[in-house]
Amino acid sequence: MREERAPGLLAGDSLNLRLARRSLGLIALCLVLLPFADLAITTHDPWAELGRMLSGLLHPDILATESLPHAIALTIGFALWGTLLGMLLGFPLALLFPHSRLLRGGCAFVRAIHELFWALLLLQVFGLSAVTAIAALTIPYAGIFAKVYAEILELTPRAPVDALPEGVGRLSRFVYAELPMVWSRLSSYTRYRFECAMRSSVLLGFVGLPTLGFHLESAFREGRYPEAGALLWLFYLMIASLHLWGHRRLLPWIALGSLFLLGPWPDIDGALLWRFVSVDLWPQPLLEGNWSGLWQWFGEIPDLLPAIGNTLLLGLMGTAGSLVVALLLWPLASRHFGNRPTRMAGKGVLILMRSTPELMLAFIFLLMLGPSMLPAWLALSLHNGALIAFLVARHADAIVPGSHALPASGRYAYELLPRLYGGLLALLFYRAETIIRETALLGMLGIATLGFHIDSSFAYMMFDQAFVLLLITAALNIGVDALARRYRPREIAETPGQHDRPAGEAPC
Amino acid sequence: MRWLVACLLILVSTAASAETFRFTAIPDENQSRLEERFDKVAHYLEDRLGVEVEYVPVKSYSAAVSAFRNDQVQLAWFGGLTGVQARRLVPDSRAIAQGKEDAEFRTYFIAHHDSDIDTQGDDLPKNVQGKAFTFGAKTSTSGRLMPEYYIRNQFGAPPKSLFSRVGFSGDHTRTIALVESGTYDIGAVNFKVWDAAVADGRVDTDKVDVIWKTPTYPDYQWTVRGDVDSRYGDGFTDKVRQALLDMHDPELLESFPREGFIPADNDDYQPIEDVGEKLGLLR
Repeated sequence: MREERAPGLLAGDSLNLRLARRSLGLIALCLVLLPFADLAITTHDPWAELGRMLSGLLHPDILATESLPHAIALTIGFALWGTLLGMLLGFPLALLFPHSRLLRGGCAFVRAIHELFWALLLLQVFGLSAVTAIAALTIPYAGIFAKVYAEILELTPRAPVDALPEGVGRLSRFVYAELPMVWSRLSSYTRYRFECAMRSSVLLGFVGLPTLGFHLESAFREGRYPEAGALLWLFYLMIASLHLWGHRRLLPWIALGSLFLLGPWPDIDGALLWRFVSVDLWPQPLLEGNWSGLWQWFGEIPDLLPAIGNTLLLGLMGTAGSLVVALLLWPLASRHFGNRPTRMAGKGVLILMRSTPELMLAFIFLLMLGPSMLPAWLALSLHNGALIAFLVARHADAIVPGSHALPASGRYAYELLPRLYGGLLALLFYRAETIIRETALLGMLGIATLGFHIDSSFAYMMFDQAFVLLLITAALNIGVDALARRYRPREIAETPGQHDRPAGEAPC
Repeated sequence: MRWLVACLLILVSTAASAETFRFTAIPDENQSRLEERFDKVAHYLEDRLGVEVEYVPVKSYSAAVSAFRNDQVQLAWFGGLTGVQARRLVPDSRAIAQGKEDAEFRTYFIAHHDSDIDTQGDDLPKNVQGKAFTFGAKTSTSGRLMPEYYIRNQFGAPPKSLFSRVGFSGDHTRTIALVESGTYDIGAVNFKVWDAAVADGRVDTDKVDVIWKTPTYPDYQWTVRGDVDSRYGDGFTDKVRQALLDMHDPELLESFPREGFIPADNDDYQPIEDVGEKLGLLR
């Protein structure tokens, strides 16, 4: 009798119980820490501005922006070259990846710094140029490619290699027996990264590089909403039509063509470059070997501990919020629920939510709710939740329901969710690292995360401070990533063939 | 490797042979169609200076400073504080002209009517304490530096301990929008941007109005790199200054927007530099 009783939630060792414990633990931790977050609602009169925003979105003015084709071409050019060079650098690194701890650490480090911060750093030496833009994408992407390609290569089936006669060289073995087995996964991941690069390329405009984001941010910031609306629609359209123009045969020509638009190439001032890396980035007391001065210098960084606290708290809240949003929203886009029109609408909503830059979502909530952590929390949760929901809905569509007699709620709770939950949680835990990277971005809107202080340091030209804050941010991200990996449901995430996308994928 | 060197040489040589004079400028407000507007200024300067002149569009003052430092632009229209930053980073660079309005610039403190701030008296009203307050951009002279200076001067305390919240809207136009929507009770805004918004009817003065005007201080100015005389010919700096002072076409001046330009030099901005150092924004 005794062994037939179901084990309690806390004691059971089945996979789903463990998953449930982890999710409840995440949510409980978030609830316990919630009182430390500033969540006051203080605004009272947002409707006029929101009305102007909505009317701009509904009456977009595509002709308001000057040199729009050039901005579009540069957006694509930067994304393409950033991905291409990232791939060329990342692939050889992937081969060495399993063998070198140093390399893994280096890759984790370059990945942990947001593209925008790379851009701010590179801007100081390469100015507003294509070098800055492409390197800001290439550097973190090389780290990402190295890791993901290595994970894909690790899953190469062994049989073809074992079938080769003895004495076949390492290179031939790799080219003829290993690479073909994983080629489709490598290329599908690369293609998918390119989509991420398009988003990042637009974001680069926010710090002044001449992509679509340059005009989008100015128009939005200055309340020229018809122009901002048009640019936002254009951006959605570019992402949605990627499968049409992003064809493998077409891309090399686009890459070559865009080369002519990327100039003028900057004149690199060697003395300035050297000064930047050898003096500007380092605290003055450190260069002088003055240790007590260094301690004092450290003390002058404003509000360092609260900033770290806010960054971690917002990251945790964003992750928990994304879980709730994803659980609520995935049925919107799944074939198991609703009818064709509702699904179309649901998919549309999810695509809009995940494609809209978080900074804009956060600003809309800022107007509605006032200046606290709440707008950033909502923006992070909705953006990332929608993204996960979209992928989960696709996984759900591959499942054939066993019992049609169940009502929708029963199908959701008893039939589908138990089978999807592991995958959902795996995606969420992959996403945790990205969420914490994005908290830095929202800092640029004024929420006092580490990103807020990094942005300030760059504005005040205190590069040594910016650099230390970037190092701290990178260390936090690496820590969060390690933690997320520790609690990620391994059994599901790493079963080959379970996902329609390669293992190790962290959606952008 | 040889190819790499060759490519680099080609890049360097093409960049060096075309000695175009480049400048950048960001208006206080309305940054739409920057190129179209400032290309006209470039044509004007080209006629006057006898060298090729090009406008480089820039989004933020920190980007403008790094473009100036990297020699991507040789002349720039900076704010008060960003001009000081730029001149500190590029030795021998000089402020040569400022707008007529910039010798006596002001910041307006604006407040939402529901925040019940009384506007009697010559100082910033006492009961701004405990309200939510927003600056403009972090390195804006009129949106950050001078308002913070006057706040500290009057209350003897940093804004953070005075107000319930301190934000950075990032832009004067957005400061007005955020105070009008009640997101913040009070904001500090460039007086020209406010006057233009009121004149165009873009702001609802039944909801938001000026509660205090700061004393005057110097703001925007043209700064030129110190090496232009050796690169573009003797007396080039003076030629640039004269060309700016002679700019009377309202269509050109509207882009900044200024009534005209008057001479200025580095010493005019000493007060800004002092305040910047005092507030820890310069070091």
